[in-house]
Amino acid sequence: MSLFVATLQNEFVKTIRRPRSYIGFGIITFICLMLQAAFYQDGKEILSTVTAQIDSIFSVQGNILNGNLICFIVLQTLIVQMPLLVAFVTGDTLSGETASGTIRFLLTRPASRTQILLAKWLAGLFYTLMLLLVLGIFALFVSRWIFGSGDLMSLNSEGLTIIRADDINWRWMGAFGIAFLSLSVVATYATLLSCLMDNSITPIVTVMATIIVFTIIGLFDIPSFDVLKPFLFTTHMIAWRSLFEDPVPYSDILFSCGVLVFHLLAFLGLAIYFFNRKDISN
Amino acid sequence: MKSILFCCLALISLSAFATDDPKVLIRELNKKFAVVQDYTAKVQMDFAIPGVKMNHMSGQVYFRKPDRFRMKAKGIFFLPKQNPLQQIGSMLLDTSAYTSIISGYETIAGRHCAIVNIIPTKNNAELILGKCWIDVANPLIWKTQITTRNNGTIETQNQYGSDAKYTLPEKMEIRLELKKIKVSRMIAGDINKKSKPKTAGEEPLQTGKISLQFSDYRINSHFPESDLQASQE
Repeated sequence: MSLFVATLQNEFVKTIRRPRSYIGFGIITFICLMLQAAFYQDGKEILSTVTAQIDSIFSVQGNILNGNLICFIVLQTLIVQMPLLVAFVTGDTLSGETASGTIRFLLTRPASRTQILLAKWLAGLFYTLMLLLVLGIFALFVSRWIFGSGDLMSLNSEGLTIIRADDINWRWMGAFGIAFLSLSVVATYATLLSCLMDNSITPIVTVMATIIVFTIIGLFDIPSFDVLKPFLFTTHMIAWRSLFEDPVPYSDILFSCGVLVFHLLAFLGLAIYFFNRKDISN
Repeated sequence: MKSILFCCLALISLSAFATDDPKVLIRELNKKFAVVQDYTAKVQMDFAIPGVKMNHMSGQVYFRKPDRFRMKAKGIFFLPKQNPLQQIGSMLLDTSAYTSIISGYETIAGRHCAIVNIIPTKNNAELILGKCWIDVANPLIWKTQITTRNNGTIETQNQYGSDAKYTLPEKMEIRLELKKIKVSRMIAGDINKKSKPKTAGEEPLQTGKISLQFSDYRINSHFPESDLQASQE
């Protein structure tokens, strides 16, 4: 056990010391601040394009443009980009070692291959958690500080749902929890590809390509795509949005979480299988 | 002789509520409302708007004559642009601005009501036609239907409690016809939901309802002017 803890510590230190780990934090901070500045300047105008139908009939009372809405928009925007940031670090964990030749040195340590892989995987999840934490701080807390708190006007294709401010914090916790699970699937997928490939770039590009292709399949209402959609993890990555519906479709959310957990375990199992059989002699 | 005189007076006073004279009914209504210079009340709001899911909420209503109105609540809520709470009282007060006729009678909530049509005298007025169902025995507005140039038709149905003597309702249900509020899938970012096939022709109108339950009326309390100023909550 102490061997595994030492390996885990080693992987955490490696993740922290790599300059590329900080690119994700920088990008998230930049995007959040950029969106906040844009909404601060032109928020009412931007929102009027969405609320035009309501404004023609009703006089909308209360502060729509508040921190909760900004966080909802930021989370919706970044949930497509964040997997790329996660893959940027986790897709390199093993393939980077293979490319640089340090994998041989790594495998001479007394820890088993499975322990090494799990340590790298957990370090990847820790990095993902840190990314989400930074996102949460900037998207939710900084937005609330700038725009104030208030009811969330959540947009979905069925119309509008107004979530009251005193009923929202548990939804955010759930949303960030589901976002973490979704990104963990991406991190695990990237780790799996990293086991299979011998250079740093290919796993990262493959993860990006997979997410882009799956997202495009999800966007189109084509019957032949509808058969595929339930099996794609990207379909379930936006399950967090369902927490902002009323009533909350718990069964749909649990199903999506189940699919994500299945993907995560399958990718992790395959990663362990392939890493244990990986030929490092070349 | 005295009894004949009494009968005559009774007949005269009954004729004051002549069921075929809308002006008398409106005068009686305005008399009751004239006492009220301002009021505040607690309000419980319930919403049933097609395409909008919104929980009930509570707030405070402020009104000051002639037509200053504010509904204060913590959070987001929708009110019709053409606010009947603000509009009906002030509309009836200016008797020179409209002609009134009784177009029929109807029983609303067990009360025999005259349907009083309010037709503005000016052609360019925002109001096109107002209809008020006024109880003949005890002049109170039980139902209204207001059609305006810019905001279509809106209906209200009132229930009265202890503040009926000031014409202030205990419950008001506002009904309006509207198309279901929709947000495009791409704007909503709701990529997992399937688009519903578009039906041929114009989408049918649906009825939206906003119910307002008033309590704890404070009449002529001379609340501060700041309570009427809108602020972002």
